[in-house]
Amino acid sequence: MSTDRGTLTQELLDLVADEGMVEVSEIAPEKRLEDLDIQSADFVMILMAIEEKYNVYISVDNELSDVETVQDLLNLVIGKIEQEQAAQA
Amino acid sequence: MTKVVITGMGAVSACGIGAEALMQATQIGQSGVRGVLFSEIENQRVMTAAALEPGIKEQINTDLGHRMREPVANYALVAAREAVAQAGLGPEDFGDRCAVSIGSGFGGAQTVNTNYIKFGAEGSMRLDPMAVPKIMNNAAASWVSMEFGATGPAYCLATACSSASQSIGLGYHLVRSGAVDRCLAGGAEACLEGGVFRVWELLRVMTADKNRPFSKDRNGMTLGEGAGVFVLESEESARARGAEILCELTGYGTNSDAGDLLRPNPMRAAACMSLALEDAGLEPSDIGYVNAHGTGTVANDVNEVIALREVFGETLQGVEVSSTKPVHGHALGAAGALELVVCIGALREQSAPPTINFNEIDPKIGLDPVSNCARPLTTRAVMSNSLAFGGINATLILKSHG
Repeated sequence: MSTDRGTLTQELLDLVADEGMVEVSEIAPEKRLEDLDIQSADFVMILMAIEEKYNVYISVDNELSDVETVQDLLNLVIGKIEQEQAAQA
Repeated sequence: MTKVVITGMGAVSACGIGAEALMQATQIGQSGVRGVLFSEIENQRVMTAAALEPGIKEQINTDLGHRMREPVANYALVAAREAVAQAGLGPEDFGDRCAVSIGSGFGGAQTVNTNYIKFGAEGSMRLDPMAVPKIMNNAAASWVSMEFGATGPAYCLATACSSASQSIGLGYHLVRSGAVDRCLAGGAEACLEGGVFRVWELLRVMTADKNRPFSKDRNGMTLGEGAGVFVLESEESARARGAEILCELTGYGTNSDAGDLLRPNPMRAAACMSLALEDAGLEPSDIGYVNAHGTGTVANDVNEVIALREVFGETLQGVEVSSTKPVHGHALGAAGALELVVCIGALREQSAPPTINFNEIDPKIGLDPVSNCARPLTTRAVMSNSLAFGGINATLILKSHG
């Protein structure tokens, strides 16, 4: 598992593209998830893959309710992953 | 029109055996949520549920053990026996004039889980030959009918989190229409099994923290289990038997969103509450307390508060609202029955049970529920909401009798 933010960001963008069934070239941090047609059913797929790969549980709830853009999602997920890594260390 | 009254109630929940235990726990805000660990789940994320106390669970399943019965039917039987005993029903009170209407979301979850593991993971062909009658969703309703010789119509509504409220509503319609004199109505759920728990984890609507309905820091629900059963009967038949009447079941509304399977529509929930009020012949101002569906998920809480404001007015003045799910958990197909027991407690004690674990008003919804401590009420009518996946809404209204 990488702790490098740049690598982590790229890994997450790939993961969002894969699980959200969007072309990775279409994904950019400032894009709104809604505009990428990523819906709640895609969210649970993305979050399942994040749990498998990074060992973090994120509920589709308050934490996610303010997420609008790809960057918002990255911030939330990276924060959780770093929290998990700190706890493991 | 025939009045429908409640003359008996029974419950099994994380708060213990008995309706009294559930009413007490919700009034004082003592949570039945405890640690749960499923050996089949690798890296379990959510570590709590409102599970029955392990000793009580074992006791029930030993005492009621039967090779064709599993926990979900056992819970229903325990609750039904309590309700029937309280109502003072004798053998002559059942027969064709007594219906049974007991819903369940998952049916025989334990049997599904253990047999799939044997079949799929262990490759065994030696499965439980009685798996089918244990798994079928109507098993609880049928066991209750057999226990008492209730040979009238038997129903099992499987409408997820609205199963119990709709089952009670159906029983209410049967009695009110004169089709039967009485009905044993409620819901049962025994869903705390590894496989079921894991798919709830994957839907990500459960919190890994505490369940905090309406609170700014809420982050999902906590699963529960149990059963609640009521004796509903016509006022005439209750009077004729000289039975003690606990309260009147005076209004029922149900509708569907016909929109999204998971995302609720507040206008439909509001319409559902209005239907129940109209059915009861009551005004919103007559309702002193609402036991909200209040799961503690963002989808439910935002939706339900918009709906409540639509019905009771923007400020919700004069009506106390709380969710007691942090105490008894979200018991899915049993939820509406457990919560109707809680509502009878609120009416009887004239005290609105609190939403425990509440920390801070969420500016997004602005609801200040009855938080952490019970509040006194002066009311003759209370409401209970169930808003299910599948867009199925159900509202019940109780009124003091006499």
